Amino acid sequence: MSDPNDPHRNDRRDFLCKIGTGAGLVAIAAQAGASLRSLVPNLTYDAPTTVKLGPPEEFPDGLKFLPDERVFVFRAGRTFHAISAVCTHLGCTVRAEALPRPEDTTVEGLPLRLTHRFLCPCHGSKYSGDGTNVAGPAPKPLAWYRLSVSPDDGQLIVNLADEVDHRFRLTVA
Amino acid sequence: MTLLPKRANGGPTAPGVHPRRLWSVRPASDREAGDAVVSNLLLHWFPAKVDKGSLAWTYSFWLGTIAGALFGLLILSGLPLMFLYVPSVERAYQSVKDIEYVVTFGWWLRAVHRIGAHLMVVAVALHLARVFFTGAYKNGVGDGQRREWNWVIGVSMLLLTLFLSFTGYLLPWDQLAFWAVTVGTNIASSVPLVGPRIRELLIGGRAIEQATLIRFYVLHIIVLPGALGGLVAYHMWRIRKDGGLARADRASVLEQARETNPVPSKTYTLLGVASGTSPLVRTLSLEAPDTTVNAVPDLTRRALIVVLGTFAVISILASVIGSPLEEPANALVTPNPAKAPWYFLWLQEIVTDTTLTIGSFTINGAFLGGAILPGVLVGLLTFWPWMDRSPRSETGVWFPRSRRAQNLVFIALTFVIIAFTVVGLLMRGPYWHFYWPWETWPGIPGRI
Repeated sequence: MSDPNDPHRNDRRDFLCKIGTGAGLVAIAAQAGASLRSLVPNLTYDAPTTVKLGPPEEFPDGLKFLPDERVFVFRAGRTFHAISAVCTHLGCTVRAEALPRPEDTTVEGLPLRLTHRFLCPCHGSKYSGDGTNVAGPAPKPLAWYRLSVSPDDGQLIVNLADEVDHRFRLTVA
Repeated sequence: MTLLPKRANGGPTAPGVHPRRLWSVRPASDREAGDAVVSNLLLHWFPAKVDKGSLAWTYSFWLGTIAGALFGLLILSGLPLMFLYVPSVERAYQSVKDIEYVVTFGWWLRAVHRIGAHLMVVAVALHLARVFFTGAYKNGVGDGQRREWNWVIGVSMLLLTLFLSFTGYLLPWDQLAFWAVTVGTNIASSVPLVGPRIRELLIGGRAIEQATLIRFYVLHIIVLPGALGGLVAYHMWRIRKDGGLARADRASVLEQARETNPVPSKTYTLLGVASGTSPLVRTLSLEAPDTTVNAVPDLTRRALIVVLGTFAVISILASVIGSPLEEPANALVTPNPAKAPWYFLWLQEIVTDTTLTIGSFTINGAFLGGAILPGVLVGLLTFWPWMDRSPRSETGVWFPRSRRAQNLVFIALTFVIIAFTVVGLLMRGPYWHFYWPWETWPGIPGRI
């Protein structure tokens, strides 16, 4: 038994006071938490990641920029590939600049004709024609996205959620 | 002017009852000067007596007052703008255009708000530099001084000022706004693990859209000004608690304690001063009458000059400097070059130059230059009062020898920041290539 005259004694009154204060603080914290939680979106109305781009035959040989999807689609005869236009540094849209002379190289063992290079207007990153970062602050290459042909109407489809490696080519029959 | 009945001799009816409706601009006695502070809500945050040296134009340059005046002016000019601006992605740009070209004097209101905001960044930064160079974050002779905490509050207010500028920047929803926010929030996103989550919370989703605009709008008009207002009040209260500006500590230390008459406006409660007696008070402190003056009118007059002068300068500048408005925001085209506002250009330079590759491991400059480096700078600033080892007696002294090294480092860092800003402002052209100011930029090639 503790000394009833000890001023630091935890008696019932102290205990109830602490419980009451604690409950009040918990209630305030929970309500503040609930209010702040409402600001975390549960649902975002993002643009679709799988987009029909039109019939493959309507794409010019070389490069076509699709601003809505922020993607470059390249065509060389029957083969297609798509490279993102979103700079990997801070997300500005890079611009394509035609090379004075196309270069034939091999990228990851497959031949690729490079017709352009990519330059970022925000911080000066530079990418070669296959999207490899060659200068400036960009930390990694531009993304390549999966292309496919729509089974119903034969349109070209880009899947912006599906990154592929630099060997990817879509060959249209 | 008299509100309350006066006694026959013209004095107040009772202590604490003040006959004047406002206050005397030219008080006839110390008593009247002290009464002005006690009886007026606005003047109540001043002490009755202030240290003479603290009022000198060349000690503080009144930069804090200027910053405060600009904050007030931004609230005043922001109010009518709130009635005119529509925070919706479809209508924001058009409403700003209407403010600029259709609303009577709208262009002037917008210019006052814009120039005031720019100069507030300048004033707050200069105020910080002044406090640093005078060692005013140090505790001097007073008991219970916590000047280091007021410095920390000040650093927070600088960050709030910058964040207020950044959120205001987005509201016109033009190209400048859209891409500044793209880059700014991607910097937040570059922080490992939590970054993408922070960005999503900032912009209310994964794309910069309506949710982003309304978030930045509410932050800009309520949350951040409210927080800044609260900190301003705390900042002022701390100055009173710390015994005034740091300069006062220097003036207050008399060589020797000396005997002086009790100050008539003070109540020496415990002495029980009775009529006919005149106790002498031994003092070492700033209550010595010859080091202080009455706050009314010496402090109020100067404060009024500074506040009205600030308003006048901004109003005149706003009449002659137009506010730019770029093309409407277009998520499809990044302007070339895309430049941040001038006070963030040094950061834009740094994120350009700090991508590091070690072997096969690459650290994005966005993280290193955009988050780590500014974080280190802010951390250094915040904790500097605890690292400063100069003597207490050099509190409130400009450029003493004991702080020469740290002042030189501060000046060097400031110089680097200014140099980066100038490079970003004048020497970066399309694709962020370097051009001398006298070189013409090449024609920007088409988008493709």
